[in-house]
Amino acid sequence: MSELIMILVGGVKIGSIYALAALGIVVIHKATRVVNFAQGGLVLLGAYGAYVFIVEMRWPYWMAYVVIPAIVGCVAVLIEIVVLRRMRRGDLFPVVIATIFLGIALSEGYRLSTRAEILSVPSFVSTMPFVIGSVVISPEQLWVTFGALLAAAAGIAIFQHGRVGRSMRAMASNVRGAQLCGYSIDRVYGMTWFLGGALAGYAGVFTAPVRGVSSELAIATVAAAFVAAVIGGFDSLIGAVAGGLILGVSETLAAAYISSAMKSAISFLLLFVVLAIRPQGLFAPKKVRSV
Amino acid sequence: MFNVARHRPLFIALAPLLSVVAVVGLGAAVDSYWQYVLGMSLSAMLVGSALVMLTGYARCITLATGSIMAIGAYASAILTVKSGMPFAAAVIAGAIMGGAGGFLMALPSVRFRSHNLAMVTLVFQEVVIILLREWKSVTGGAEGLNVPAPHLFGVTISNDFIFLIVLAVGTSVGLLPLSILLQGAFGKNLRAMACSEVAARAYGINVKRNLIAAFTISSFAIALASALMAPRLRIIDPDSFGILPSIFALAYPIVGGTTSIWGGILGGGLLRAMPEILRPIADYIELGEALLVIGIVLFLPGGIIELFNRLHKIVTRGHFVKAGKLPDFISSERPPERGKLCSGENVAWAARIEELSVRYGALKAVDQVSLNVRQGTIHGLMGANGAGKTTLFNAVSGFIKPSGGSISVFGEALDGLLIEDRIRLGVTRTFQNVAIFSGLTCLENVKIGLGRNDIGTALARSVHGTFDTIRAREESETAMRALHSVGLSAYAYVRSELLSLGNQRRLELARAIVSNPKLLLLDEPVSGVAEEEVSKIHELLRRINRDHGITMLIVEHNIGFLASLCDRLTVLNHGRVVAEGEPKATVSLPLVRDIYFGEALVA
Repeated sequence: MSELIMILVGGVKIGSIYALAALGIVVIHKATRVVNFAQGGLVLLGAYGAYVFIVEMRWPYWMAYVVIPAIVGCVAVLIEIVVLRRMRRGDLFPVVIATIFLGIALSEGYRLSTRAEILSVPSFVSTMPFVIGSVVISPEQLWVTFGALLAAAAGIAIFQHGRVGRSMRAMASNVRGAQLCGYSIDRVYGMTWFLGGALAGYAGVFTAPVRGVSSELAIATVAAAFVAAVIGGFDSLIGAVAGGLILGVSETLAAAYISSAMKSAISFLLLFVVLAIRPQGLFAPKKVRSV
Repeated sequence: MFNVARHRPLFIALAPLLSVVAVVGLGAAVDSYWQYVLGMSLSAMLVGSALVMLTGYARCITLATGSIMAIGAYASAILTVKSGMPFAAAVIAGAIMGGAGGFLMALPSVRFRSHNLAMVTLVFQEVVIILLREWKSVTGGAEGLNVPAPHLFGVTISNDFIFLIVLAVGTSVGLLPLSILLQGAFGKNLRAMACSEVAARAYGINVKRNLIAAFTISSFAIALASALMAPRLRIIDPDSFGILPSIFALAYPIVGGTTSIWGGILGGGLLRAMPEILRPIADYIELGEALLVIGIVLFLPGGIIELFNRLHKIVTRGHFVKAGKLPDFISSERPPERGKLCSGENVAWAARIEELSVRYGALKAVDQVSLNVRQGTIHGLMGANGAGKTTLFNAVSGFIKPSGGSISVFGEALDGLLIEDRIRLGVTRTFQNVAIFSGLTCLENVKIGLGRNDIGTALARSVHGTFDTIRAREESETAMRALHSVGLSAYAYVRSELLSLGNQRRLELARAIVSNPKLLLLDEPVSGVAEEEVSKIHELLRRINRDHGITMLIVEHNIGFLASLCDRLTVLNHGRVVAEGEPKATVSLPLVRDIYFGEALVA
C-alpha cells in the first residue's frame, strides 16, 4: 500500500510537468490554430536555462523561476514572428512541418552548444523527506507537483479570466470578429506564444532537477505532452492538465508493476485507446452548432 | 512510326529511372566508399518518392518512416539468416511485410487528419521499435542483428559497384510503379482529396480507401528501399530506425518538392549524401537540415524542384500562352451531340422527396418537405438564408443524414447510400463555394468528374494513362468535349485555381456534366459571378438541359436569373415549402414577396 502511494506521488509529479507542457500546446493551438511540435524544444531550452543559471552562473535558484519562463516566452515570440507569421494565411500542413523541424533545430542547437551527455541540476528544496508510517515523500516531490500545478493554474487563469486571455479567446472563436473588435492579430498571437513559451519554460525549470538536461528531453517531452493534450481533447485547458496527470500516473504505474519497456508503450497505448473510443478526447468542449 | 508526343506519359513515367542510371554512371567513376554513399542515396531516393505519395500528394504527415524501414530491413535479414531465403526473395518479402505494416498502421490512422494522424503514426513507430528491442530471440534486441552479404545467382556480392547495380535494379522496381501511380489517375485523386475532401467524395473518391492505399503502397516502397540497403549496413539495430530518422526522412519530399516524384528523388538523393559530402562539418548536419527545411517551407514552398520548374519556364517562355489572352467563351459554337440521356426511360419523376426532415439539435432545418422534380426540367429552389436549401441538397447528395422522410431518384431509394456511391445513380452536385481541385489542370479536374474513381479503377487508369491506351484517350476526349461545351477548352492545360470565379463555376459544370448525371444539383451557380457572366451561365445551363437532357435542381438567390431559367419553382421558408408553381407567378405571390422583400411590412 505504502509502495503504491509513493508510486502515485511520483506519477503525479511527472504528470504535472507533462500537464504544463501540454497546456502550452493547447493554449497556442486554441488561440492561433498552430499545432506546435516545437514545444519539446522550448521545454529543453527552459531546462538548459535552469542549468546555466543555477549551476554555471550560481544565481539564486528562485530567479530561475522568474527569469527563465520570460526568456523562453520571448524565444517563442521570436519563432512566431520570424517563422510562423509568414505562414499565417496558408494551410496547416507546412506549419506542422515547420514546428516539427523547429523542435529539431532547438534540440540540435542545444546538443551542439553543450556536447554533454546529460547535465544535472540540483533540487530546489533538499530538506529531509517526510515520513508517514512507511510512506516516504520528499519535499522536492511536493514542490515540483504543487509548483507545476500552480503555474498551470496561473496559465489557465490568464487565458480564461484575464484581459489578455479575453483577446486570445476572441481570436480562438473568430479571428475576423476579434479583429473587427480592435484586437490586433500580431499582438494577440505574440502574447499567446509568450504565454505558451512561458509555460514551456516552467516545465523546463521543473523538469531539470527531475530528469536532468539532455537533447532527448525535447522529443520525449513533446511526445508525452502531445499524448496528454490529445487525451484531454486538444482544445481543453483542464483536459490538458488532466491528460498530463493521467499519463504521468499510468507511466509510473506501468514502469513499477509491468516492465520498464511498458513505460513508453503505455503512453501510446493510452493515446490509441482514447483516439479509438473517444476521438474528440476526454474533455472535449461541447460543440455548439451555429446556424 | 514512333510518335513522341503520343508517348509523352510513358516518357514521363520512365524518366525517373534515368536518375537511377545517372547514379550508377557516377558510381563507375568513384571509389568504393563513394559507391557505398551513392547506394545510400539510391535507397533514399526511393524512400523520398514514396513519401511524395503519402506526404506530398495525400498530405499525411507520417512519423513512422523509420519503423517501416525497420520492418523491411529486419524481415529480409531474418528471412535470409534463419530460413535461408535467397536475397531477392527476402527483399521482396521484406517489402511486402512493410506494405502490410503500412496497411495495419493506416487502418486506425485514416480516421484522423493533421496532428492526430501524425500522432497515430508515432504510436506505430514507437510500438515497432519497442517490439524490436524486446523480442530479443528473433531481432537480437538493442545490440542489433548481423546482416550477411547478399548472394545472387550463387555468388556473394562483396564488390561495392556490383552492389550498387543490384541496388539500382531494386530501386527501379520500386520507382516505376510509384512513378506511374503518381502521374496517373491515382495521384490526381490523392491531390483532389487533399484539396477538397467534400468535392472528392461527391465524385466517388473514397477518402479512407485511398489513404489506406497510399499508406500501403508507400510503405511497400520504403520497406523495399530499406531491405535492399540492409546487407551493406552489415549491422542493423533499433536505434537507426528511431523517431529522428523518421523525421529526417520527412524532410526528403519537403526539401526536394512535394508536387512530383522528382522532388522525392532529388530530396532523398541529396539529403542522404549530404552528411558524407560535408564530412568536415558533419556534426552540424542535423541542425543545418532542420534550418534548411524551415527555410524551404518559408521561401520555396515547392521545394528545390520548383527552381528547376522556374528555370524551365524562363527557357520555354515563348511557348506558353498567357491565360488572360485566351478566348473567354465560345458561345457561338454548337456543343457536341451526346444524345438524350433519359430518353429510353419511363419514369416521369427525376427526384421524389417525401416528408423529408433534417434536424440540427433542436433546430429543424428542413421540416417535412415534399418536393417532386419532373424529369427533364429545370427546377428552382428559393428561400431566404437559413430556409434549408443547402441542407436539402446535402441530404439528397448524402452529406447529411435526414432524421425522417425518404428520397428517391429515378425510382431508386437513396436511404443509407454512401456519398461516394450516389454518383453512380446519376446524382451529381456542385458547391456553393466553388470546390474545384486546385493544383490540377482543368482537364484533370474534369477527368475526375468521370467518376471512375474506385481505388482499383483508379490504379488501373493510372496504367492506362501511362501507356495512352484507347480507353485513356477516350477519357481525354470526353473531358475535352465537356470543357468545350462550357467554353473552357482553351484552358484545358491551365491550373484550375488560376481561373476567374465565373470560369471556375463553369469548370464545376463541366466536371458535373461529364459524370453522366441524370439529376444535377446546382448550389448557387452564379453567386459571386460578374454580371456579364451571369447571362452566359444562364445560356449554358439551358443548353446543358436541352442538349444533354439533364434534369436540374437549382438553388439561387438571384431571383431574376432563377425565374427566367427554371420551369418550376419551389419556395422554402424556415424549412417548409410555402409555395410552388410556375416561376413568374410564384415569384409574384404576395406570400413570397413578403418573405423576400418584407412587402407586407412596407404596405
